[in-house]
Amino acid sequence: MIDIAVRIIIYGAVVSGIWALVASGFTLIFGVARILNFAHGTFFVLAAYIGIVLAGSGVNPYLATLISIAIVGVFGLAVYTGLLSKIKEHEVMVIIVTLALALLIEQILLLLFGEHGLSYPTLIWGVVRIGKTPITYKRILAFIVAIAVIAILEYFINRTRLGKTIMAASQNFEGAMLVGINVDRIFKITMAISAMLAGLGGILYSQIFAATPEVAMKSLIFAFAIVILGGLGSVRGSIIASFIIGYVITIAINFLGAQWAEFVALLFIIGILVVRPTGLFGVEE
Amino acid sequence: MMRKVLLLVLVVALVFGCAQQPPAKPTPSPTPKATPTPTPVKTATPPPFGGKKEVVIGVIGPMSRAEGTAERNAAMLAAEEINAKGGILGLKIRIVVGDTKLNPDTATAEFRRLATEEKADMILGGFSSGIMNAMMETMAETKTVFLADASSPGHPKKVAENYDKYKYWFRVSQNNGTTFAWELAEMIDFLRENGVKVDKVYIIRDEHIWTDAVMANLKPLLEERNVSIVGNKPLPRGFSDYEPLLLDAQEKGADVIIPILAIVNTGDVLAKQWAELQIPALLAGHDLAAMDPNFYEKTGGAANYEIFLADGGALYTSPPTDICAKFVENYKAKYGHYPESHEAYGAYDAVYIYKQVVEEAYKAGEKNPFDPDVVVKYLEKHGPDNPIKLTRVVAWHKNHALVWGDDYMRNWLSQWQDGKPYIIHPKIAKAKLKLPPWFQQ
Repeated sequence: MIDIAVRIIIYGAVVSGIWALVASGFTLIFGVARILNFAHGTFFVLAAYIGIVLAGSGVNPYLATLISIAIVGVFGLAVYTGLLSKIKEHEVMVIIVTLALALLIEQILLLLFGEHGLSYPTLIWGVVRIGKTPITYKRILAFIVAIAVIAILEYFINRTRLGKTIMAASQNFEGAMLVGINVDRIFKITMAISAMLAGLGGILYSQIFAATPEVAMKSLIFAFAIVILGGLGSVRGSIIASFIIGYVITIAINFLGAQWAEFVALLFIIGILVVRPTGLFGVEE
Repeated sequence: MMRKVLLLVLVVALVFGCAQQPPAKPTPSPTPKATPTPTPVKTATPPPFGGKKEVVIGVIGPMSRAEGTAERNAAMLAAEEINAKGGILGLKIRIVVGDTKLNPDTATAEFRRLATEEKADMILGGFSSGIMNAMMETMAETKTVFLADASSPGHPKKVAENYDKYKYWFRVSQNNGTTFAWELAEMIDFLRENGVKVDKVYIIRDEHIWTDAVMANLKPLLEERNVSIVGNKPLPRGFSDYEPLLLDAQEKGADVIIPILAIVNTGDVLAKQWAELQIPALLAGHDLAAMDPNFYEKTGGAANYEIFLADGGALYTSPPTDICAKFVENYKAKYGHYPESHEAYGAYDAVYIYKQVVEEAYKAGEKNPFDPDVVVKYLEKHGPDNPIKLTRVVAWHKNHALVWGDDYMRNWLSQWQDGKPYIIHPKIAKAKLKLPPWFQQ
């Protein structure tokens, strides 16, 4: 029983950390620019595929990771500049365009790579045993990286000048404009950060599991559900909600079986939203 | 206002009036001339087979997966070879492709397109049993010969129960769920003969119709051998979080983890997680992903020691026939790699089988050897006593399921060893069982 508890605690933490990265990126761009980016899962999966291709071409896997995250950041910036900046006032249009983009890229990935799952090259090999439970180094790495990046994000937003500017724009962008903040620049930076967070999540995920074109939509659904549960626009709420959902999934896999995991997680989210429609940390507008 | 209306009516009347043709004048009849008696002309021989100009073969499968591309590639290779030698009864083969997208709606629409728009004489392929069920209805409706993939015993059962409707369906790619169970039981016997204790097994399988059939047949065979099932986990398509299951298997003391996976399509992730965690249980069963010649590279070498059934009766390192040996090399020469999936063997054979039976029908004096009912009649002549030897030895039972056996078609027990897959049991084995260094009982 202790082994099962250890397994749930550790495995749940890893999955939660990855989803926290993805969800915080999703909520960040919504909180700042009011953009519901349905192509967020595309950034998640695109970084994994770019990294796999680069590493397959002989690039060092760590370097491939950094390059692919940077590429996805630039791609996020391009999506904002080329598409979203022109239509961001029309929320429904933003949803339609980003969803169309996500489906388009999913089809391109299907044509290029097929639907077979591709694993990211293992960044670190090895196993450590806690009791009888073996834990791979790559899971530990994923957890440490996810937590470190979330901590840096928290610091960046709350303590740095640029981060405070982003928060100012998210609270009242007209007010921010009046005090001379270049809001459009802030939106671009936020979009790039959001895409890179998703990209890093995708790489950590596909290193343990596998990247498939369909994972883009799955990660979007999870990010969306977690963000709603945490309260739209609340980064801290998303992180806490990620851990709740991560543990619900891990417990469901352990006790009910894999085929029930997502069903239970989504049922759980619906249950909480019925009781608290604004999510755990959301405020009524 | 009134003037304007009148003017308008006038203009319309004029235009309309001008558009009328003048009454036709009676044309004087020409003076009849004497018609010359036609010189008797030698009547041209009517074109054979009702004016048929080509043989159209449809390939249907999931084209974003290895199973689909392997079917398409292999069928095109067979068609090229046959066309280079004059085609089928002098008619060239044209290959047309349909993509099921692993979706029954798309699959049936594509099947119908191939059968009716492209006028396919025969369709081959059709990976996945659920999709096959749907396509068999379109096949029956369009009366199209279907040399098919997929492994549910439900398909030949349909042929047996409603022959007139489903007789156009013949399985070509691999044996069915019943025989998979026999092979898995035989694998356990083989492991025991080689000193491996097998008392407890942990099953990881597709949540799918085809594995239900395997399980129904496997359970009594395991009971006969006093093997208990300590885990039986159905998984959805695309599932990749195997570690909790592997640890569960370890905790429950499983000696062998048996994957029965085709649709999930993440067998490489399973192999990686099994090797990384060094689970003290063998990974041995039916994992379709392990058939990929690049499986070792995809797993970063973690595939070593994985035992799997070489589905479809062939493996490129141990081709069971001379034709198979030539086929895998020609495939590699054309596409740069060995067949990425066992469906390649079935698809290649299907084209040649069709050619053979059409020619047999023609030689027997059939007026239209391409007629689907005629083709069915001649396919049925290839029972256990009259097999067709191609890349595998193909023969059918009366329900159009493939004949299983060492001398016909079967899945060979194989293992990844030092970067290559080898058959380890029975008959055409090229290597001996190797156990992972971390496996100790």
